[in-house]
Amino acid sequence: MAMLSFERKYRVRGGTLIGGDLFDFWAGPFYVGFFGVTTAFFTLVGTAMILWGAASGPTWNLWQISIAPPDLSYGLRFAPMMQGGLWQIITVCALGAFVSWALREVEIARKLGMGLHVPVAFGFAIFAYFTLQVIRPVLMGAWGHAFPYGIYSHLDWVSNVAYQYLHFHYNPAHMIAASLFFATVLALSMHGGLVLSATNPKKGEVVKTPEHEDTFFRDVIGYSVGTLGIHRLGLFLALAAVWFAALCIVISGPFWTRGWPEWWGWWLNMPIWGH
Amino acid sequence: MNAWVRTSRLLLLALSAAVLYGCGERPPIVSVQHGYRGTGMEQNYNPRILASQAALHRAPAAAEPASADGPRAKEVYQNVKVLGDLSVGEFTRHMVSITQWVAPKEGCAYCHNVANFADDSLYTKIVARRMIQMTQHVNADWKPHVGETGVTCYTCHRGNPVPKEIWVAPTASRHSGGSLGDDAGQNRASKSVGYSSLPYDPFTPYLKQDKPIRVNGNDALVKTGAAANRQSTKQAEFTYGLMVHMSESLGVNCTYCHNTRSFQSWEQAPPQRATAYHGIRLARDLNNAYMEPLTSTFPPNRLGKTGDVAKVNCATCHQGANKPLYGAKMAKDYPELTKVSVVSTSP
Amino acid sequence: MTEYQNLFTTVQPTGPASAGIALPKGDSERIGTPWFWHLAGRLGNAQIGPIYLGGLGLASLVFGTLAFNIIGFNMLAMVDWNPLQLVRQLFWLALEPPPPSFGLSIPPLNQGGWWLITGFLLTISILLWWTRIYRRARQLGLGTHVAWAFAAAIWLYLVCGFFRPVLMGSWSEAVPFGIFPHLDWVSALSLRYGNLFYNPFHALSIVFLYGSVLLFAMHGATILAVSRYGGEREIEQIVDRGTASERAALFWRWTMGFNATMESVHRWAWWFAVLCPLVGGIGILLTGTVVDNWYLWSVKHHVVPSYPAVFPVVVDPALLGVKP
Repeated sequence: MAMLSFERKYRVRGGTLIGGDLFDFWAGPFYVGFFGVTTAFFTLVGTAMILWGAASGPTWNLWQISIAPPDLSYGLRFAPMMQGGLWQIITVCALGAFVSWALREVEIARKLGMGLHVPVAFGFAIFAYFTLQVIRPVLMGAWGHAFPYGIYSHLDWVSNVAYQYLHFHYNPAHMIAASLFFATVLALSMHGGLVLSATNPKKGEVVKTPEHEDTFFRDVIGYSVGTLGIHRLGLFLALAAVWFAALCIVISGPFWTRGWPEWWGWWLNMPIWGH
Repeated sequence: MNAWVRTSRLLLLALSAAVLYGCGERPPIVSVQHGYRGTGMEQNYNPRILASQAALHRAPAAAEPASADGPRAKEVYQNVKVLGDLSVGEFTRHMVSITQWVAPKEGCAYCHNVANFADDSLYTKIVARRMIQMTQHVNADWKPHVGETGVTCYTCHRGNPVPKEIWVAPTASRHSGGSLGDDAGQNRASKSVGYSSLPYDPFTPYLKQDKPIRVNGNDALVKTGAAANRQSTKQAEFTYGLMVHMSESLGVNCTYCHNTRSFQSWEQAPPQRATAYHGIRLARDLNNAYMEPLTSTFPPNRLGKTGDVAKVNCATCHQGANKPLYGAKMAKDYPELTKVSVVSTSP
Repeated sequence: MTEYQNLFTTVQPTGPASAGIALPKGDSERIGTPWFWHLAGRLGNAQIGPIYLGGLGLASLVFGTLAFNIIGFNMLAMVDWNPLQLVRQLFWLALEPPPPSFGLSIPPLNQGGWWLITGFLLTISILLWWTRIYRRARQLGLGTHVAWAFAAAIWLYLVCGFFRPVLMGSWSEAVPFGIFPHLDWVSALSLRYGNLFYNPFHALSIVFLYGSVLLFAMHGATILAVSRYGGEREIEQIVDRGTASERAALFWRWTMGFNATMESVHRWAWWFAVLCPLVGGIGILLTGTVVDNWYLWSVKHHVVPSYPAVFPVVVDPALLGVKP
């Protein structure tokens, strides 16, 4: 039944949000639950829509398939299927699937007597997607502002939207977000490295202790955040990165239409600098 | 929920609100799609900003048409070199308009010795005569850029004797001669490049000289020898600086002329790119054929710090609009500006 | 929700500071009297210090401070020694590499010479710091995983600032020392080489960048979610699996069908984080040395999507023999 050696005792009933015992079972290693069913539904419909879109497009090349949002002229209305309506349905299915996945994680966490940190963290990622594909288009008055579903085509969208602001690197929220992204990678490499270095010491050495971990970072930089602290810090860095990423795109357009370097004029022209 | 959580949530909300407010703009904004849906090629306009600029881009009403009958201006007045073949009525009308367009407060005395309108003692008259020729040249010979709309003196001057948007060469970096502190022609928050730290003089190499603007090659792989693409990353910064200037000058973004996934591609480019191509060459032509030769005509207070004459760039005519004066067809009401006059040498 | 989520420590017990694991003979004594910062204690440990400062660390700081000062004084000179203007223009100022005309030769001080010296000093400082990290691990009997992760970052730094410029035959290809200017360099590189989004190594590096953020959110959240079972005591959980590790593993197995272990998750973490600069560095190194135009390269390799034509055909005026 593909269960881990210690798994059986954890497979108990309970923790569900909706449906009680009706969907409280596993399929192989996967927990189902009511939200497993809704995830499967949205995923199947959404994937079918994507395949339909690909079939009506010029290619089956995985890198080139693209399903585009409607023209701006449709505003926030429903568009005909082949003129962006398909994209709209896929977006609804994506959000349905993502939210279902998060709620399924809630059910799994409750069943295992865990905190809800994971689905909350996932919620930030869903929020970023929601910001890009719903909040910003609504603020700008048209679904057509959202990105297309295609591996390289979504990058073409990123390039063009960024250059709408002449030099997107100067977006202050983007600067903060990028710094947080790189800080997260840095912290992850340090944490992964530290734990592995304690549990995989030099040949012939014994496994080390958290005191060794703390001592290493105090020796190197004068501070060690500690075993609990690093997980809080890592979670905060990652979620803050995603938060500022969502912020940086929602202000581009609805709250700023000019080039981003020009935004810095308020700093350059402050009266305290004199003449 | 304890006080700490409540405070930090309030702080986060306040910070986010400050960010949104501090941006200075708000919805609704107007977007114009410019390419295939989902490619992200679009122009975004803030109606409130457009409204604040509306007065600048309003063309003044044309003067009442004058009769073409009667003697020619060169038969009645002395020293009329360029507009001599106009009727006296048309000539006078032109003079009234040019005063309104260039020196409304200063009046006729800005260019003329009012005791003797014919004499050329004021430098402004020499310059104005050349400028009339320049305007005729733009309208007759630069149709690939100005189409049938053309330009008049007002396009650049907008009621100012010196157009608001001109450029002069920057002084050499103060510390380029010393042992440290050379800014390498960039890394200042310069308005000329939209307050970025890109090279702050993209005009001398591209709008006065004809240095190559393109940095991309036509091959995927690096070639050697004669086929090599020798443009550097640094040169791309100079091109970028010029492009930022063009965008700011026209009040548009990069996707107005390009699909940025491949800036070099003409197959994917909007037609505006070809117009812009000609615009760059137009600016070069005017700077070299008309402005440069006038350097010694201007007094020192009208020259740049390095002694060079004021020159034109995209902002000189466009001043923030994708078409100067939003495409108002002023020139058609002044046919004398739409073709090159034969210069009369009679006194 | 009135349940405590273990995001901030509410009660901080205080006690004597930890002096750290004893170091072997030959090492210096640690310096600084440790003190406690209550605010830090709300997130992690409150103890600040002591720090180890041996020969390697000292030398690294000396070289690093020199490099920092050369950058700073050049910037100050650029604003006519006006400290107010230094603050105002700080983000725009930079110490630039030499212009392309100098190739790889040593330029005059004020035309890239200072940049070259700074790059050299900073590199020495970074390599000394790497050695410090390696040595501190060894002296404490730890594995050297942190040092090797750092090496991946140093690889990217050297690719951008040294290896690639040398292969290109021009210091001018390197990155300036400045906030906005180094971002201008990023844009210029992408503009010159046909859009770096179409560089597959760049794309893969971003996969690892976003993947690392995803992983740390997942791992951080998971550990916090099982912190009530002592999940953050990862070393002990690795050698003696407890209910924290079991629940954490099962959470992911039931969610996505597979899971890591308390140790292996840190291998996922290490590799994702390390592969970001490692693969990214390869992508930069190939740019301009092997590939001149990533968009055209991608066209050749059939990955570029096509869009229906919206505009009339535009011909390059340069091909029509128009006024040059």
